[in-house]
Amino acid sequence: MMSRIADLYAQATGWIFEHALQPLLYALGLMDWAEDAYAWLDFALFGLFGILVVVAVCRPLEAWRPVEPRTDRQAVRTDMLYTFLSRLGLLPLLAFVLLASAQTAWEAWLTEAGLLPPTLEELVPLLREQPLLAFAAYVVILDFAEYWRHRAQHGLRWWWALHAIHHAQRQMTFWTDDRNHVLDDVLAAVWFGAIALLIGVPPGQFPLIVLLLRLAESLSHANVRLDYGRLGERLLVSPRFHRLHHAPLSAGAHGKNYAVLLPVWDWLFGTADFRRGVFPPTGTPEEPEALASGGWLRQQAVGLRRMVAALAGR
Amino acid sequence: MRRARLALCLGLAGLVPATARADLVYVLNSADASISVIESTTREEVRRIPVLREAHHLILTPDRGELLVGDSGGNELIAIDPASATVLKRDRFSNPYHMELSPDGKLLVVTSLRRDQVDIYEAASRTLLARLKVPDKPSHLAYTPDSRTVFVTLQGARGLMAIDLATQKPLWTADVGPQPAGVTWHNGKLLVGLMGSDHVAVVSPADGKVERRIYVGRGAHTIFPSPDGKLLYVNSRVDSRITVLDAETLDPRVTWPLPGGPDCIAFDPEGRLWVTLRWIARVAVIDPKTGETDSFPVGRSPHGIFVEKRATPLPPLAVSETLPAAQPAHDAPAPLVQTEDDMPARPEAAAASAPRPASQRRLWSR
Repeated sequence: MMSRIADLYAQATGWIFEHALQPLLYALGLMDWAEDAYAWLDFALFGLFGILVVVAVCRPLEAWRPVEPRTDRQAVRTDMLYTFLSRLGLLPLLAFVLLASAQTAWEAWLTEAGLLPPTLEELVPLLREQPLLAFAAYVVILDFAEYWRHRAQHGLRWWWALHAIHHAQRQMTFWTDDRNHVLDDVLAAVWFGAIALLIGVPPGQFPLIVLLLRLAESLSHANVRLDYGRLGERLLVSPRFHRLHHAPLSAGAHGKNYAVLLPVWDWLFGTADFRRGVFPPTGTPEEPEALASGGWLRQQAVGLRRMVAALAGR
Repeated sequence: MRRARLALCLGLAGLVPATARADLVYVLNSADASISVIESTTREEVRRIPVLREAHHLILTPDRGELLVGDSGGNELIAIDPASATVLKRDRFSNPYHMELSPDGKLLVVTSLRRDQVDIYEAASRTLLARLKVPDKPSHLAYTPDSRTVFVTLQGARGLMAIDLATQKPLWTADVGPQPAGVTWHNGKLLVGLMGSDHVAVVSPADGKVERRIYVGRGAHTIFPSPDGKLLYVNSRVDSRITVLDAETLDPRVTWPLPGGPDCIAFDPEGRLWVTLRWIARVAVIDPKTGETDSFPVGRSPHGIFVEKRATPLPPLAVSETLPAAQPAHDAPAPLVQTEDDMPARPEAAAASAPRPASQRRLWSR
């Protein structure tokens, strides 16, 4: 059954590649990028698939037990635009091209220095025979890295100036996950990709890991009155856990509940808030109104201006 | 697997005609971090060998005792006993993309597509003799029959580079056209597939001058001589086809449409072509007499391919073989298989995996 599905997927992606992407690459004189473009196609399709899964899971949940009514539909539409731009299009491609070049330079430098780039399986040989365990190990390491990136987004003034766009949303839904400044997305992609390269995540597993983390992040932003119980709240980030992170009192450097997938990091580093039954409103009242209710372009411009001001010490 | 077992039982019972075959087809699934071992009669995967990252190309050692698979992303060279599909050893090796042994068997040249490097090793010890920093994306390579020169296509730089193997220095670099990929030595000339164009360039090995262009369709990629040397098979990625050229005149004889992005080709004892189809995760089997094509699924982005002759199906894995190895793979017991023709006997395979002196081990694992 699974092999039949894999064969169908391969036929479909092959058809798209042969009839749309490859002729374009040929016309542009970029055929030496064909294999990279083929790999990127997986990213885009996984992005599309990710959106469909997220909508299928989160929309019924939001209809079932919403925390608050959907009154500001324009704000939700802006978040939807963020999602489509982020997951289907230019940003993954940009990150991929940047990272592919960085990877080449990094590995060439290592081999010149007489070293060969490491992989996690070489450090822990058991993982070589246990691909599922290896996958889980990569997820845990990358989730840990994501926790610290998130801490930096709140702790560094210039980065918070960008990240405040994400927190300014007062009508938080599962679409809010991708509401980020473009620069913030690029920084996040470079950070995530660099860690993945450093520990040697296999190319085939990378889209799966991204899909898993993205699904968890979207669900955690959903407008649903849902917690995972006393034990579950400590095992997986829930909508309740993350909503508390989006509360006004949690803005900037005073944040709680930074984790993306595993709350254990907040637990370990003293930033966890496990109060069940607390579903506060979201938003950042002290930040400019444009970040909350402006359109995509306006939010990008204001975010950039504020970041420059923060860097200049104003 | 059931069909393979049935074939094995019938074979043991003497019910299968003596001409029956059960060749093993090795397919490198470059985007799945694995090697599929397919039985040619049933087209079923009888083994799947995991690799670390991206396996692209493979070569057979001259004694046919080892199939060497390069895992470029994982920096490993994997030695497999082709008769039994047993992993003999895995060695640390810098980014092996395309690799070939020199005709005299003394050198192993390896291109590193992503690191812009060409490495020259002593074949027997795998000692690195020279590492050349070259222009963008060194892809495929070919030797002169006297093993004095190696030619490397530079995919991102429109180039073909000739390297003197005595001095280990470049002789010349020539512009041969957009995105050159495969290169083959043929009747005193070099044939270069131009992925960014629709033709094969016939290039002088003396100075890299393009002397002739042969139209084969957009995305010309690699050129494979037929086992009898009378034909050349050229695949084209964009027009997705194989063009059959007369080896003497280089005139096209016939074209076979082959959707899916044809790449590497291997030949079985009956002369059929086994072709990896990169974009649809399949392998095509072509009867050259009729052009009839059949295909079956393998892993993602299949690239290198090899057919090992076998008379009987590979036995099913024993329970102990399906468990994680408690000892290095090369210490595994010799499988009880009967192969035909001049396949290497077990003692040779064992000798190939015997521990090396410490100094050689260090160099091997460079």
